[in-house]
Amino acid sequence: MKRINKIGYCLGAMMLILLSFNTAKAQQSSADSALLGRIAILEQQVADQKPGESHFMVAGLTTFGYVSSKTTFTAPGAMGQITRANSLGDADHYELSPMFLFRHGDNLLVEFEPSFDGSNLGVNWANISYFAAPGLVVHAGYFVVPFGIYSKKLAAGWIDKLAGDPAGFDLPGTDFGIGFSGGFPLGDMKWGYDVSLTNGLQLLPDGELQNAGIVDNNKGKMLSGRVSLLPFSNSSLEIGVSALHSNAGDAGSTFTSANVTMYGADINFVKTFSPFLVNIKGQYNKINVTPQTYTSPVDSSLFSYNNVTSSAFAQISVRPVGADNFLKNFEVAYRYSNYTTPAGSAWGQNFHENDFGLDYWLSWRTVLKFTYAQSRSLSTSSVTAGGTPGLTNINSLYLQFSVEF
Amino acid sequence: MKKIKTRTRGWIMIIGVIAVLALIFTSCAENEKIAAKSGAQLWAENCQRCHNTPSPSAFSHEQWKTIGMHMQTRAQLTDKERQKIVDFLSQ
Repeated sequence: MKRINKIGYCLGAMMLILLSFNTAKAQQSSADSALLGRIAILEQQVADQKPGESHFMVAGLTTFGYVSSKTTFTAPGAMGQITRANSLGDADHYELSPMFLFRHGDNLLVEFEPSFDGSNLGVNWANISYFAAPGLVVHAGYFVVPFGIYSKKLAAGWIDKLAGDPAGFDLPGTDFGIGFSGGFPLGDMKWGYDVSLTNGLQLLPDGELQNAGIVDNNKGKMLSGRVSLLPFSNSSLEIGVSALHSNAGDAGSTFTSANVTMYGADINFVKTFSPFLVNIKGQYNKINVTPQTYTSPVDSSLFSYNNVTSSAFAQISVRPVGADNFLKNFEVAYRYSNYTTPAGSAWGQNFHENDFGLDYWLSWRTVLKFTYAQSRSLSTSSVTAGGTPGLTNINSLYLQFSVEF
Repeated sequence: MKKIKTRTRGWIMIIGVIAVLALIFTSCAENEKIAAKSGAQLWAENCQRCHNTPSPSAFSHEQWKTIGMHMQTRAQLTDKERQKIVDFLSQ
């Protein structure tokens, strides 16, 4: 009887062991399927993130702030007239410009940057670039004409150390056409080129120039280019020379033979002299328009003047990047600019401006700028041509915020 | 005859310009010191010529590739410089 009991216990124990084994197996199977499920989800997430040949992204910038100015105009032999203004931004100092970048493979890039300046919605550039070979990028569409360094490289609010732009650097601006650019090593040095063929400039009845736009005003095209050399192996110094030639007169007008020639030189030096980062930049432009006879808007008489314009700026900024406290976020900047337009024209002036700036960098691409600008413009215009003689002094204060996103 | 001479002179000028450009392009070689520069060094030297050096964490690898192409059109970077800078920023 005892023996039977023992056998019974053994059988019971064996059944219990088999039961628990089956339960463990079922739990294991359930855990495996849960794990497989999670792996499948992760695999799907990885597949979703897998980079394709194309990529699209939005970057861009915005700039806004406060401007307060006092303008004193003094006509010859008269007392000065003072005008004061203040505004939370204005058309020259407010900008929201998202930049759309489409990359197709490794050789094609489409860039489109619309821009809202508070009153207009415009386009800064819309072009396609083809990376054809080492040192050769071909671009076509609507782009910043290669000339000097300011317009193409330094004008963005989060890059510019001072709130405003130096006067006289609007031309040659942005235009429709085709261009080629690239950079090459040259031993210890480096050099680059950027050339374009575009619709060109248009000479206005008073002798001023503007971009012809999408529909050219004549058969001639504008050839523009900049060649740069970086003579030091650390790329701290960049020297550039630019040149431009364009037919500017409207076809069939009295300006048919009008040509514009533009020359420029620029310098860019950035180096750390511990603990300071010193940044020096400058550019000189000169515009010549072949002699023309203009019609006075006042009395329709014919007159002429030497249509030569020059503009220049020199800028220095210093930032204590080596400091180990908040001081490293500050940067002081100064810029002198000069803009001389043709004497005897409707818009002749001799303009000087001094800009003093104190910037606080919240991040590498976010800046709070405090700029004081003082300008003096002596009119050299002709009354016959429709000009207004006098002296204009402007003192402006800017508090500006700019961010690249 | 004069027209032929002018045309011949024009072709000689074009061929001359092409030959000079070819000579310049083929002589454009970097020395060992320049070739050995790291992406970090190129990032520090080239970006700050116009703006502050960007933080690598600001964008993803794919975004840096796209931005690298955009910057090459602005700053006339060489192809090798762009590649090294993008690789550094993507780490």
